[in-house]
Amino acid sequence: MKRAALATIFLAALAGGVHAGTAAPYAADPDPPEHPGDYDPLERVNRGTFWVNDHFDVYLLEPVAKAWDWIAPDPLQRSISHFFQNVRFPVVFANDLFQGKPREAGIDVARFVINTTVGVAGFMDPAEKWWGLEPHVEDFGQTLGRWGSPAGAYLVIPILGPSNVRDAFGLAGDYPLTIVPFFVDQYILWGARVAEGVNERSLYLQQVRDAKEAALDYYSFVRNAYHQRRVALINDSRVEAKPQNEQDLYFFDNPQD
Amino acid sequence: MLVAALLSIPPAASAVGNPEDVVRQVTDEVIAVLKQKQLPREQRQSQILAIVEHRVDFDTVSKLVLARHWKTLNEDQQRRFTQEFKEHLAVTYGQNVDSYHDQKVEIIGARDEARGDKTVQTHVAREGQKPFQVDYRVRQIGDEWKIIDVIVEGVSLVANFRSQFQQIMASGGIDQLLKLLHEKNVKGEAAPGAPGLKSPAK
Repeated sequence: MKRAALATIFLAALAGGVHAGTAAPYAADPDPPEHPGDYDPLERVNRGTFWVNDHFDVYLLEPVAKAWDWIAPDPLQRSISHFFQNVRFPVVFANDLFQGKPREAGIDVARFVINTTVGVAGFMDPAEKWWGLEPHVEDFGQTLGRWGSPAGAYLVIPILGPSNVRDAFGLAGDYPLTIVPFFVDQYILWGARVAEGVNERSLYLQQVRDAKEAALDYYSFVRNAYHQRRVALINDSRVEAKPQNEQDLYFFDNPQD
Repeated sequence: MLVAALLSIPPAASAVGNPEDVVRQVTDEVIAVLKQKQLPREQRQSQILAIVEHRVDFDTVSKLVLARHWKTLNEDQQRRFTQEFKEHLAVTYGQNVDSYHDQKVEIIGARDEARGDKTVQTHVAREGQKPFQVDYRVRQIGDEWKIIDVIVEGVSLVANFRSQFQQIMASGGIDQLLKLLHEKNVKGEAAPGAPGLKSPAK
């Protein structure tokens, strides 16, 4: 579900709409960002990209995903999601190692072997279902964070959605690890990516609707949720991991106010 | 994700006691309401709202989400904000009462926080799906533990709303924020459903 939540935020952001009431220019914001996730010097450009992404989602991706959701039975949608998760194995494995997590790396190898064979090319997840081997969510952006890199400026990437400078480098770092069979035609690979995107989106129809409903400023909702979620992932949601700005967040009578 | 937030909502309990018990009671009570699918939607919503109002300290939550802006509001604005914000949460999360699918809540631990606060951690699991983590930040107010934040998979609702409100306060001030909240509440109460697409930023 970790992955699912990330995807939710990811997709929510992909679906990013800009609230009418907050469409005023922000350039002259006299308030410094209070939260590290709100560091957004490229806000004007980001808001533009966010708006384009949202239109892309509302008019193309979401309708297609809805249609797919209507046609496809839930188990098929989940199977396809498992397949793409399994294909990500080299990325997860390498980043386990980069972050010095041999145990997790071992589990991910076992998952890959079991799910690729018993799990029929990764369409099923017997590794978790029968052996209780839970998947991990790792990428090079998290590795950089683990190594101490700050998030840097918030970025909205066309089509891909919310990111930041660190995670954009992370995407580039993971790219060579993505399984790209040399014998498969490029158009088929792009087709696979589109299929993955549509299928993932179809799993989060309700969540994105809910997020839009609950948000008062959808742009900053997504920006903040993305940041918080990435921090949680970098810390592997460890029990002892605390929300950032703990002191500032929960005690409004701070002397520094 | 929003069902998780719903499940967060607490019931009436007595005494200070153990914060884990309080969260346990809260989730049990909310689930008991959600299970009564034969009841009219509105009735379930109002029952849940009653549980929430008792167990979440909206005064504290309102101060936390507005942070340093809180002090710049006059008393009337503070009162209106607290009311509209509570209503906003009730309207948006109340719309999800139908999406309960036998999720189970398991308390997996608790940790101490600064100044006597506690965080109670739970897993919300739906049959055949991976559980996700929902944490409740609780604080002793009066002689009761009150919920002051819900953290879903690492995303704190207080921090998230604060970020949004910060943005709105910076561009339009409290009048704009109250107006937005009010409009959204009126719209949400009149016609629950997906919001339309808004116009782009300039």
